[in-house]
Amino acid sequence: MPAFLLYLVHTLFPPDTRQPTELGADFMILVTGIGIVYILTRYKKWRWLWREWLTTVDHKRIAILYLIAAIAMLFRGGVDALMLRTNLALPNVQPIGALEYNEVFTTHGTIMIFFMAMPFIFALFNAVIPLQIGSRDVAFPRLNAMSYWLFAFGAMLFNISFVVGGSPNAGWTGYPPLTELAFNPGPGESYYFLSLLIAGIGTTITGINFLVTIIRMRAPGMTLMRMPMFAWSTLVTSALIIFAFPPLTVALALSLLDRTFGSSFFTLGHGGMPMMYVNLFWLFGHPEVYIVILPAFGIFSEVVPTFSKKRLFGYTTMVISLVSIMFLAYGTWVHHFFTMGAGPTVNAFFGLSTMLIAIPTGVKIFNWIFTMWGGRIRITVAMLYQMAFIPTFVVGGATGIMLSVVPADYQLHNSYWVVAHFHNVLIGGTVFGLLSGLYYWWPKMFGFILNERQGKVGFWLFVIGFWVTFLPQYLLGLEGMTRRMYTYPFGFGWHELNVISTLGAFTMGAGFIALVYNILWSLRYGERDLTGDPWNGRTLEWALPSPAPEYNFARIPVVHGVDEFWAMKEQGMTLANQLRPQDVKALELPKNTGMPFMLGLSFFVGGFGMVFEWWPIAIFGGLGVVACLIYAAFDYDDKEPLPADVIRHTEGTFGRLQA
Amino acid sequence: MSEHTSDGTELEAVEPGLEFLAPKFEVEGFPWAQVMGYVFSLLLTFAALLLVVDHAMPPILLLAVILALALGQAGLQLGVFMHLRESRGTAWQLLPLGLAFFIAFALVGTSIWIMLFKTGVS
Ligand code: HEM
Ligand SMILES: [Cu+2]
Repeated sequence: MPAFLLYLVHTLFPPDTRQPTELGADFMILVTGIGIVYILTRYKKWRWLWREWLTTVDHKRIAILYLIAAIAMLFRGGVDALMLRTNLALPNVQPIGALEYNEVFTTHGTIMIFFMAMPFIFALFNAVIPLQIGSRDVAFPRLNAMSYWLFAFGAMLFNISFVVGGSPNAGWTGYPPLTELAFNPGPGESYYFLSLLIAGIGTTITGINFLVTIIRMRAPGMTLMRMPMFAWSTLVTSALIIFAFPPLTVALALSLLDRTFGSSFFTLGHGGMPMMYVNLFWLFGHPEVYIVILPAFGIFSEVVPTFSKKRLFGYTTMVISLVSIMFLAYGTWVHHFFTMGAGPTVNAFFGLSTMLIAIPTGVKIFNWIFTMWGGRIRITVAMLYQMAFIPTFVVGGATGIMLSVVPADYQLHNSYWVVAHFHNVLIGGTVFGLLSGLYYWWPKMFGFILNERQGKVGFWLFVIGFWVTFLPQYLLGLEGMTRRMYTYPFGFGWHELNVISTLGAFTMGAGFIALVYNILWSLRYGERDLTGDPWNGRTLEWALPSPAPEYNFARIPVVHGVDEFWAMKEQGMTLANQLRPQDVKALELPKNTGMPFMLGLSFFVGGFGMVFEWWPIAIFGGLGVVACLIYAAFDYDDKEPLPADVIRHTEGTFGRLQA
Repeated sequence: MSEHTSDGTELEAVEPGLEFLAPKFEVEGFPWAQVMGYVFSLLLTFAALLLVVDHAMPPILLLAVILALALGQAGLQLGVFMHLRESRGTAWQLLPLGLAFFIAFALVGTSIWIMLFKTGVS
């Protein structure tokens, strides 16, 4: 037995998971874990947790689950970022060594894209889309819960790699041969492939779910061209997801086969083609950057009209540019590996297509500006993020165009210039957009308003921190500093710029703390949103109480144009003053189920077994997956009646029923 | 949730002349088509695997044969599992399906074009 235990300890906790940072993480996980268990037991909340949250199929609750995960991952990814920046602050000063540095930048990138940005986006999709299009739910509520739990357990599998077995260390792109077993033994890269595969299934399902929801579940009268712009961006994003994730799945699965079963799709020897992985990865990867930016575009297209008190300028051109971005996004992926040297024709083609995509993007920027032009602008936190977004994103786009010039890219590729570019668009675009949406829709999700003054403090810290961090990185790129270096010597002139950049990074960290403080403070003291319409909004979600009741709409509204709620308000109407008791009909709601959670858990167990190649565990998990699917297929009892009286009562307590 | 009757069909008036858009759903019963479809898709998969593992033919021929098997597989999946025949009318399917094929072939085609560089270099 002791020999067995020794083996176990050695496999699960090899030396590189026994360093100070890892032990610190172990300690924190243990303390929070015990704390959570204690609180749940002490206040007898286990049943509540299971019944209200872990088994929920309500899109509004799933939204909150996604949001919690996203903010937790923003924290973890952010701590990673600060570790990276600390290591680079001064020449030759390295709190963490080369190997650990590789691990930290890998987890930073992977977490920020797949486990922060994606769930944050899905949080807002779930919170807003059904309300905005006048629907009672998404098209497939159970699949929606499945998506969440696959994502959540995928994320968990990825996160435990840090303390159990060792983190992946080949970058968020996971290129071979860096991930090849011969050069990278240990469980790290297998964690990467498996967790992304599992979470990827969830993401694909979400794409399908929201595509169908928007196509099929709109309120009567809401034609496609009357949809709120956020719904449009969700539609286009979903379509991108459906086509972008399969190449990633293939690339990851084949790499996993290479590692685990000795095939040679992407290996250096035996006729493998490592560059084919790169091709497949970016076939996904470029659409992915649009998957994370288009929702932000959608958010701004809601925020700007509301806080400018004006209709969105150029609705039709907005739609056209969204759709053309969708198509063009598939035609540019080679710009991530121009230096592979596919030849002048290929590179020229993809350089041009990359430049082309800036045109529809520019159109959108002008439309937002023209919407603000002559509007009555209210400077709220949501609007501030939008106003910071425009210049930031323009710089990010312009530096992207410079990268799309092939000869320039040969110089800039893999330098800090690229790092600065993609943070410019990812933070200045996606993150600013998500934070704007967070402040904007928070009252709708939780029923209280985040404190604006504290929000503004967080905003300035975050935006100033952003520029201080990333402007110097453009200069570092021009001075030849390459990305993914863990340290650098004196005498290259990189010293000052790196110090500045690190200071900026800590300023952004302070911005994050301000955000969390704001959330906790507002939870207690924040102004409650009693009207359901705190911003004088224009779209249907603001016609409902905050938070919306579980059935959303007591009666599905009929839509007559863009900005339906605004039109209603102009005629002195609300959803409430049209609702008479006899209009309320009994409904069926989807019933809670533990299946999605168990499915995610099974994937987690199976994935963990595969990471360590402990086949009995892997097979056990796999059987669990099959069992859950069979159960799901034959579970016909998936609806619950909601009597009209209950709805009348609920609407009555909101004061939304005519006597 | 609201517009469905208990047996899952949809109550929708079909305008004259547009009958081809009317919903078509498979009748209930034992899903033989699906079971056989599943068996056949496994057969097609393992056939491809075995051919490749055994190097059963010269490479070019092998490629052609597994491509043919793949096309058969795709047709099977679309026909049996993707509800291609069971729907609100085939007309609604053709446009997105065409689009999907276009994107898929464009991606595969350009990938081949991009990766051809190897022959030029090595
Ligand atoms: C006008 C629009 C854009 C253009 C022309 C553009 C162009 C480029 C080019 C040419 C590269 C490759 C640089 C290299 O590796 O040598 C690149 C990298 C990158 N871009 Fe953009 N881009 C644009 C917008 C965006 C947006 C909106 C996002 C995300 C929100 C984004 C995210 C990224 C990322 C993550 C990378 C680097 C990935 C890596 O190598 O790890 N870009 N961009
Ligand atoms: Cu790209």
